[in-house]
Amino acid sequence: MKLNIEGLLVYFPYDYIYPEQYSYMLELKRTLDAKGHGVLEMPSGTGKTISLLSLIVAYQKAFPLDVTKLIYCSRTVPEIEKVVEELRKLMEFYAKETGEVNNFLALALSSRKNLCIHPEVSSLRFGKEVDGKCHSLTASYIRAQRHSNPDQPVCRFYEEFDAVGRQVPLPAGIYNLDDLKDFGRRKGWCPYYLARYSILHANIVVYSYHYLLDPKIADLVSKELAKKSVVVFDEAHNIDNVCIDSMSVNITRRTLDRCQSNVETLQHTIQKIKDTDAAKLREEYRRLVEGLKEANVARETDVYLANPVLPDEILQEAVPGSIRTAEHFLGFLRRFLEYLKSRLRVHHVVQESAPQFLKDIFEKVCIDRKPLRFCAERLQSLLRTLEIADIADFSAVTLISNFATLVSTYSLGFTIIIEPFDDRTPTIANPVLHFSCMDPSIAIKPVFQRFQSVVITSGTLSPLDIYPKILDFRPVTMASFTMTLARTCLCPLIVGRGNDQVALSSKFETREDFAVIRNYGNLLLEMSAIVPDGIVAFFTSYVYMENIVASWYEQGILENIQRNKLIFIETQDAAETSMALEKYQEACENGRGAILLSVARGKVSEGIDFVHHFGRAVIMFGVPYVYTQSRILKARLEYLRDQFQIRENDFLTFDAMRHAAQCVGRAIRGKTDYGLMIFADKRYARADKRGKLPRWIQEHISDGSLNLTVDETVQLSKHFLRQMAQPFRQEDQLGLSLLTLEQLQSEDMLKKIAQIAHQA
Amino acid sequence: MASLSEEVLLVVKKVRQRKQDGTLYLMAERIAWGPEGKDRFTVSHPYSDIRCQKISPDGKAKVQLQLVLHTGESTTFHFANESTALKDREAAKELLQQLLPKFKKKANKELEEKNRMLQEDPVLFQLYKDLVVSQVISAEEFWANRLGGLNNSEPAPCSNKQEVGISGAFLADIRPQTDGCNGLRYNLTTDIIESIFRTYPAVKQKYSENVPHSLTEKEFWTRFFQSHYFHRDRINTGTQDIFSECAKQDEKGLMSLVNKGVKNPLVDLLSLEDKTLDEGYGIKQALPSTSNTNKTVKESSNAAIIKRFNHHSAMVLAAGSRKNEVPADQASETSSTDGNSRDSDFFQPPVKKVCVFTVKLQEAIEYEDLQRESKQKTVALNLKKSDRYAHGPVPLQSQKYTTSQDIINAVNCIQHEMAHYKPNLTQVMSSTAASSAIAALSPGGVLMQGGAQQAINQMVPSDIQGELKHLYVAAGELLRHFWSCFPVNTSFLEDKLTGHLEEMLQTAYSKFHIWQTRRMMRKT
Repeated sequence: MKLNIEGLLVYFPYDYIYPEQYSYMLELKRTLDAKGHGVLEMPSGTGKTISLLSLIVAYQKAFPLDVTKLIYCSRTVPEIEKVVEELRKLMEFYAKETGEVNNFLALALSSRKNLCIHPEVSSLRFGKEVDGKCHSLTASYIRAQRHSNPDQPVCRFYEEFDAVGRQVPLPAGIYNLDDLKDFGRRKGWCPYYLARYSILHANIVVYSYHYLLDPKIADLVSKELAKKSVVVFDEAHNIDNVCIDSMSVNITRRTLDRCQSNVETLQHTIQKIKDTDAAKLREEYRRLVEGLKEANVARETDVYLANPVLPDEILQEAVPGSIRTAEHFLGFLRRFLEYLKSRLRVHHVVQESAPQFLKDIFEKVCIDRKPLRFCAERLQSLLRTLEIADIADFSAVTLISNFATLVSTYSLGFTIIIEPFDDRTPTIANPVLHFSCMDPSIAIKPVFQRFQSVVITSGTLSPLDIYPKILDFRPVTMASFTMTLARTCLCPLIVGRGNDQVALSSKFETREDFAVIRNYGNLLLEMSAIVPDGIVAFFTSYVYMENIVASWYEQGILENIQRNKLIFIETQDAAETSMALEKYQEACENGRGAILLSVARGKVSEGIDFVHHFGRAVIMFGVPYVYTQSRILKARLEYLRDQFQIRENDFLTFDAMRHAAQCVGRAIRGKTDYGLMIFADKRYARADKRGKLPRWIQEHISDGSLNLTVDETVQLSKHFLRQMAQPFRQEDQLGLSLLTLEQLQSEDMLKKIAQIAHQA
Repeated sequence: MASLSEEVLLVVKKVRQRKQDGTLYLMAERIAWGPEGKDRFTVSHPYSDIRCQKISPDGKAKVQLQLVLHTGESTTFHFANESTALKDREAAKELLQQLLPKFKKKANKELEEKNRMLQEDPVLFQLYKDLVVSQVISAEEFWANRLGGLNNSEPAPCSNKQEVGISGAFLADIRPQTDGCNGLRYNLTTDIIESIFRTYPAVKQKYSENVPHSLTEKEFWTRFFQSHYFHRDRINTGTQDIFSECAKQDEKGLMSLVNKGVKNPLVDLLSLEDKTLDEGYGIKQALPSTSNTNKTVKESSNAAIIKRFNHHSAMVLAAGSRKNEVPADQASETSSTDGNSRDSDFFQPPVKKVCVFTVKLQEAIEYEDLQRESKQKTVALNLKKSDRYAHGPVPLQSQKYTTSQDIINAVNCIQHEMAHYKPNLTQVMSSTAASSAIAALSPGGVLMQGGAQQAINQMVPSDIQGELKHLYVAAGELLRHFWSCFPVNTSFLEDKLTGHLEEMLQTAYSKFHIWQTRRMMRKT
C-alpha cells in the first residue's frame, strides 16, 4: 500500500499495516526532518525493520540530497541477512508499483569468513584464520614480490578485483552475502573487497555494529562513509556494552611474552632492512617528521570518521623525536614492556586511574605522556614500512601500543585494575591488567558527531531516558510504542511463592536454599505438564544453572520432567549448544515437546528467537543481575554515579530488567504468536523492577498476577493457553491491530493511533 | 555352476555333509558345498535365505555348524579335518557372522513387509488363514499379486506408519525396589530393554558381544545398573567396568553430533557473531585454558550431568526418528562426495544448505497477517479410527440453561393450571376404544407389526455370519485369481487356469459345502 506520512509518499510492501508501524514511521520521519538522533522502542514482531526501511528508502527517494545513505547496523549475521531480504521485498514492491527499474544499490557486508570464495581460504573454520590467510595472500608487499617471483601465491580473486573491479561500480540491486559471492564467482572478483569498496557509493549498507563502533575496524572500513547518512542501530539494547568492549584492553603475562617476541622479530627485520635498504627507513623518518598532516586535513574537511584511538591533538603534531627512528621506538617499546611486567608482579589488587598510571610510569622508567600517545600510530607506520603481512601475528604488540595510546589520551572514563589472581582460584597466580572503559560514549561519540541522524531502536529499550544519558547524546525524538493487540497474546505472570508459601527468589541469601530450588523445580514440572511444545527457561548465570540442575537431578525432579518433555541445556560450548538448540527445535517440531534450559546474557538469550511453538512459555528463574562483586563493574558503577548521576541500584536494576525483558521477549515474535512469560522471583512485583520492563509487557501485568503461587500460575496458564488455542483469523484483528489503507485514512483511526502513541 | 565373477571368500576342505566328504565354499552372496571330486554344488544357500547359524558346543566330539533357513529347514556341516576342525569352524563362523547381518536386512524386508501387512489388515490375515493355511493356494501365489502391487503403486502406507517413539523418562520408570536384604531389585520389561537399546546403541553392542557368551542376561543387567554409567557419575569410572567403554563411545557420539554442526544457520551460534573482538580486547575475559584445569570436582560433575541430559535427549529423539533420518543422511553424503572435487564445489555452491537457509530466512521475515491472501497451510488429518474422532467425548446433553426466574415462572404456571384443572367428562373416550388402542400400540399389536420383521442379520448368530463372510471373501479372492488369468496369453497362465486353479475352486467349493453341512447338522 502507499502511505502518506506527513506528506511523504511511502511505499509499504504489504496490504495491511499495524497501527504502531504507522506511528513508528511518523516518529522516524520527524527525526529525519530534524536531522537529529532518535531513540525508538517497539516490540519485536511488529515489523520494525520493514517500517524503518520503507520510510528511510522513501525519504532517500524524495530527498536524495538530504539523505544519501542508510547505514543499518545489526548484531548477528542472520539478522543482517534478514534485513537485506526485507529490503529486497520492499524494492520488488517498488518496481511493481512504479514500473521503474530499481536504481538503488544495497548490500550487506560481513567478515571475510562469510564472504571469501577462495577455495582454500574459505574452507578454514575460524574467522581469524581466514583473515590471517587472506592477509598473507593480498598484502601489498606480497603482491609486489610476485613481480620478481611468479611462484609467490596470491589470491587470484583479489588480483582480478584490483585490476578491473574498481573501474565499474557494482550494478544497482540488492546484494545479500550469497548474492555478493555469486557475483564475485561470476566475475572472478573478491566479494569481500568488492563489498568494502562498494559501500562507499551504495545507497544502503547493512553490517554489524563493530564496523562502526570498534575503532580498529571502523578506521579500515567505515572511515569514508558520507556524512549525510542515516545510521540505524537495531537491537540496540546492549549497545553500551559493545562500545565498552571495543575500547577495553586486558593484558596478561602471555600477552607480554608474545609482545616480547614480537619486538624481537621487529628488531631482526629492522636490522635486515638496514643492511639492504636503509633508504626505506630514512623515508619513513621523513614522513614522520611531516607528521600526520594528511590525516588531519582529511578529518578537518570531514572526509573521515574520527577514530577515538587517534585523538585530534595528535594529528596537528609531528611524531616526537624520541620515537621517530625505528630503533629508538623499539627501545621505547621494550622499556614500556618491562614496566608493564613489573606492574604485573603484584600480590594484591591495584586499582588506579589513568593519570596515576602515567605519573607512575614517568617516575619509574621516565616515559613521557606524549610519545605514549603516538605509540599506536608509530607502530602502524613501522609495520607498514617493514612490510609485515600477517598483522594477526603482531596482535600482541598492537594491543600494547593501543593501550599506550588510550591510557595517555583519556584521563577520564577508564580505569586500570591489576588483579594478581582470579577470585575463584586465589592460589594460582594469573595476573591480569584490566584497562577497562567505563564510558560507552567514547566509542560512539564519533558516530553521533559525524552522521546527521542516528536512530537507536530495539524491542526493549526501557527506560528510554537512560540511553541518551549513558551514551551522552541529545535525541530529538524518544518514543516507546506498544503492541496493539486484538487478543492478549502475551501473559506475564509473576510467581512469588511456592505452593508451600516459600518466597521464591534468586537473591544471594536464598540461592542455595533447598526449598527455593525445589519450588522452582516444581514450577517447571507443573508447567511442562500443561504447556504444549516448547518451553524455554532462563537462569541468572551458568553457575546458578549448573547448581540447580544438579540438585534437581538429585531430587528426581528432572526425571519427572522427562516424562513430559525432553530436556536440553545450554552449555558454555557454543557448538554443543547449537546442537542442543537444533535438537530442541526438532523435538518441538515433531510434537514431542521440549524444554530448553538456558542462561540470561548467554548467546541463546541474545540471538535466538523462539517463534510460535518453539516457545510457548518462557520462565525466568530469578532476576538476572550482573555479577556485582566484579571490580570492573564496581568501578563502572562509581563512574556512572559521579558522571551521570545514575544511582548504582538504578543501573543494576535497569541492566537486569533489560536482560529479563530480552529473555521473555524471545517467545513473542508477532501478533499471531502467543506465549506465557513467567517471572519466577518475588522481586519482580516491586514497582522499581516492574516499572523498568518495556511498556508492551508492563501493561499486561495485572495487579492480580503479582504474587502468585505455583498452583495459581498453573491455573492461569491453563486458562490462557486454552483461549489462545482457539483459531485466530485475520478478520479478528482487522480494525483493531491491523488496518487497511481505508481504515488508516479515516479521521477516527488517526486520532486513535495518535492517542495510543501519546500514552508513552 | 559357479559363475566366474563370483568371489570366493573362504574355502574349507574336508567338510562333511550328510556323511559325504566335500568342500565348503563361502562366496560373496551364498554359501555352497560340493562333494569331493565333483565340480558342482549339491548344497547352495544364498545368505539371504539363512536365518541363523548354530554351532556345536565346544566339548562335543563332532565339530559342527548348522545353518537354519527361513523356511525352517536346516543344513548341518561337519568339520572333519581332525587337526584344524575347530579352527576351520571358527573361521567359517566368523565370516558368516559378518556376512549374515548384511543380507538379513534384505531378506527380512520382504518377510517383514508381509508380516506387517498381515498384522495391519485383519481381513487380509483372515484371508491368508483361509486360503494359505488351509492350503487352498500356496503362499507364493497368495503374495504374488499382492506384494507386487503394493511395492509398485503405493509404498506410501508403509512409510506413513509412525514408529512409536521412546518415552524420555524410560530410565526413570525403572524404580528400584528394595528386596529386603540389602539389595535392590529392578524390574525390566522388554519395552524398557528395547528403549535402552534404541537409545544407547553402545549398550546394545555390549549386550550382543557379551550375552550369552560371557555373561547371562541377568548378570548383564545387574552390571548395567551397578555401573557408573547408569548412574552417570562420570568422574571415577573404573576401567574394568564393561560400560566404561560405552561411556567413552557416548562421548564420542556426542562429539560427532556436535562436530556435524547444525543445518539451520539461524540456530548456529558459532556463526552468529560477525566479528569477534580480537584477543585481549573486551571486558569479559574468556579463560578457556585455565578454566578447565581449575574447575572443582563438583563443577565438572555438574557439567557432566548437563552433558548427559543433552545427549540423552538427543538420543531419545534420534531413536524416534531414526528411520526418517537415513535418506537425509544419504542425500548429504552424496552431496558431499560431489564436493570432493574442488572445482565443481567451487563453481556450484552447496545448493542444499543455501536453500534451507533462504527458506528459513523467508519464513523469518514473513508477516502472514499483513498479507492479503494468507496461504492455507493445512495438514491432512490421518485418522486411524475415524469413528472415535467423530464420536469423541460429547457432552451428555445439550445444555440449555434456564435462569432461576424462568424456573420459578414455570412452576407458578403449572401450579396455577393444576389449581384450576377441571376434567371435561363429556368428551372422554369409551373404555373399549381406549383398551384396543393400547393393545394396538403394544409390542405385537397391529401397529407394531414392523418391529417383528427383524433383519436377517439379527436372526443369524454372529459367528455364523463371520464364518460365512470369510468363506465369501476367500471365494472372492480365488475368483480374483481366476479372472486375472484372462486373457490367457501365456502358457503359464493356461497351466494355472487348467491346472491348479480349477482344483482350488474345487477345494473352495467343497470347503463351503463341508461348512454348510456342518451347520445344518448342528442346527438339526
